[in-house]
Amino acid sequence: MTLRQLLRKVFLIDFLEGFAITGPYTFKKVYTEQYPKVPAKVPPRFHGAPRLNVDPETGKTLCIACDLCAQACPIGLIEVQRERNAETKRWELKGYTYNAARCMFCNLCAEACPTNALELSQTFEYAVYDMKELYWDKAALEKGPTVVRFTK
Amino acid sequence: MGPQHPATHGVLRLKLVLDGEKVLDCEAVIGYLHRGIEKVVESQDYQQIPPHMDRIDYTAAVSNVLGYVEAVEKLMGVTVPPRAQYLRTLMTELNRLASHLIWLGTHALDIGAMTVFLYAFREREEILKVFEACFGARLTTHAFRIGGLAEDIPPGVLDKVREFTDYFPKRVAEYEQLLTGNRIWMNRTIGVGCISAEDAISFGLTGPSLRGSGVRWDMRRAKPYAAYADMDFEIPIGKNGDTFDRYLVRMEEMRQSNRIIRQALDRLPDGPVRAKVPKVIKPPAGEIYHAIEAPKGVLGYYIVSDGSSKPHRLRVRPPSYFNLAAIKKMIVGSLVADVVAVIGTLDIVLGEIDR
Amino acid sequence: MVELFMQYLLWPLVKIIVVVLFLVLMVMAMTYAERKVVAHIQVRLGPMRVGWHGILQPVADTVKLLFKEDIIPIKADLPVFILAPILVAIPAFLVFAVIPFGPAPFYIADINVGILFVLAISSFGILAILLGGWAANSKYPFMGGLRSCAQMISYELPMGLAVVSVLLVAQNLSLVSIVEWQQKSGWWLFALQPVAFVIYFICGVAETNRCPFDLPEAESELVGGFHTEYSGLRFAFFFMAEYINMVAISALTVVLFLGGWLRPFPNVAWLSFLDYVPPVVWFLLKTFFFLYLYLWIRGTFPRYRFDQLMAVGWKWFLPITLANCIVTAGVLLFFYYR
Repeated sequence: MTLRQLLRKVFLIDFLEGFAITGPYTFKKVYTEQYPKVPAKVPPRFHGAPRLNVDPETGKTLCIACDLCAQACPIGLIEVQRERNAETKRWELKGYTYNAARCMFCNLCAEACPTNALELSQTFEYAVYDMKELYWDKAALEKGPTVVRFTK
Repeated sequence: MGPQHPATHGVLRLKLVLDGEKVLDCEAVIGYLHRGIEKVVESQDYQQIPPHMDRIDYTAAVSNVLGYVEAVEKLMGVTVPPRAQYLRTLMTELNRLASHLIWLGTHALDIGAMTVFLYAFREREEILKVFEACFGARLTTHAFRIGGLAEDIPPGVLDKVREFTDYFPKRVAEYEQLLTGNRIWMNRTIGVGCISAEDAISFGLTGPSLRGSGVRWDMRRAKPYAAYADMDFEIPIGKNGDTFDRYLVRMEEMRQSNRIIRQALDRLPDGPVRAKVPKVIKPPAGEIYHAIEAPKGVLGYYIVSDGSSKPHRLRVRPPSYFNLAAIKKMIVGSLVADVVAVIGTLDIVLGEIDR
Repeated sequence: MVELFMQYLLWPLVKIIVVVLFLVLMVMAMTYAERKVVAHIQVRLGPMRVGWHGILQPVADTVKLLFKEDIIPIKADLPVFILAPILVAIPAFLVFAVIPFGPAPFYIADINVGILFVLAISSFGILAILLGGWAANSKYPFMGGLRSCAQMISYELPMGLAVVSVLLVAQNLSLVSIVEWQQKSGWWLFALQPVAFVIYFICGVAETNRCPFDLPEAESELVGGFHTEYSGLRFAFFFMAEYINMVAISALTVVLFLGGWLRPFPNVAWLSFLDYVPPVVWFLLKTFFFLYLYLWIRGTFPRYRFDQLMAVGWKWFLPITLANCIVTAGVLLFFYYR
């Protein structure tokens, strides 16, 4: 043990060094966010609640019922009910359900979507009391989830 | 001890035989977090597997996905564009920092230094913000796709990362000032959980746990993947293989990771971030083993393909599982308080052990 | 008759009530301060919800603890289990009987063996903790109780020896007289006995089972230690005792080493404007400083291991304090009594 180490030990220098770190921090700006009071901001790429987009002008759904999202989903929580139109030979969307309770927000469905109809939005505050409420149909997906904000 | 115990980092159960405070025998009981991921992915398409890989070691999701994605690419013979390679390196190193910061925080918390935990999580938060901006999620990021990245990272993020790399070494110095020289920390870690190099190798320890014993083995250097071949970094090793050495190794690794991030930022090439891969990925029939250096050690993927769009078998070699195997060797004969320190120093994640 | 009644019954009673109220308030303030100070050290805010900046948090906590279900483990040793929290709280309060908050009327009693009384009473708390750990009949509390007991006994000794060297200098056992000696001599005792001062405070931290000596309740190892199985009001008693002990140790440190209620440099004339601050305030200020130090320490250091703790106590503190005693006595003998 060198003299320096000995002196460090005797005069409790290591402890004082620790104090020197923690002491000034007491008066520095806090880092934490006051989340429920101050709503959290998420970046534009955030994967949150799923949403089915509609054409902003006509209000019609952008979904072409191609079923790619349902195939892309690792969990298989998307269900596209569709029917082939006998005249135009095109798929027509009959119903769309998305089980948001099981979603792991991997964004594979949105990446598979050829028309940008399905999108994982930035909304993340959609906790509900009953899991069944997270079983969203087409109307619910177009409207987006009801966001419950914190109130005192 | 466990499975519900504040210091077991999840749901590890240790059967301890005690004589007073002394540990006479120890048996680890695992399996509380078994989700059958290896079986689940046999029924999934290759592109659908990365989100599951996120959930193996949830503190280092980016590394996990990197290992899997590279294994599949190797099997298919896809060359990934250089920009994607560099971004992968960058993100994986950021993830290594995040994982090491969790380790530092929880390890210090177990030994009683509460404040370091909060400081470490503050820095980790910055990293998670970067992930959030790039991949849309904080923890289970689903960062990479087969062939590259899903999309290029948004503008402005690189500046943030650069800013982070500027102040991060100072923060590491702060942790070191709080812990390294502190006599209590030294008392608690020096000579605790010793494991010799031979034992470490025979137990299959990898990562910082192995390097703490003085074995210079790092997959990034031994079999470079992503862009690590171009990077200039050092592999820190310890001498005695005790908890203190492993601590020092990880601290130094954080600095080196910071260096790698810095280099990746400086040399980041332009270009596409995703190679052309077919929509339905059908690797040729065959098998492949690809290992990377995850924050906790060597993470290997063994994939058997039968030529269809789903893997016939996928086996993960999780570093934590092998690291945990050495726990008996490390703690028999020490005190109860050391058990906590050793669990902390092994840096185990139960999601990875049980899968 | 009335005078006697006033002197021996009414006045002490009033004082006792005031002190007890003060202590209960201090406990609440300390729980709040602990969370806030540690939070700010850790760059976060701590409790913010109840009242302005969470100032009513202790009240909410108290109410919660009062109304919580009182769980008694089936295997618990019932009489002992019930007795332990009471036993732990009583000595904690008793210590304050002799602590002088200020000159003449500001203490409950000035007994001529004050410091011995304090040492005796504070050791009594160990028994309660041991009982509490034993009575729950569970592994973690049991180990916590044992650790606590061993720790407190081994730190009692250097603490006592540190006090002895103070007594050698002040030549008195009464706490009031010790402060008065410091006034007369113009020296605060920590300047004359720096080693004893540091060791006394460290031992005090160990005595109160606080970080970095909080092994008996180490959350990460023993899940709370001796009070793991306690809940509700009984837990509150343990909690309260711990905080009161902290206040007691801080107050004692102030009395023994920092001149009690005296202002800084009590005999320097030009500083006499400091006299406008009442002595009690000086006393409290100094006490608060040490309480803050407690929290600061908690926010900074890791925790000792059991065997290391004992080693520090027996191998370092005890010989050092013993040597300190001998040196003090020698110096006094050769230079003072000649």
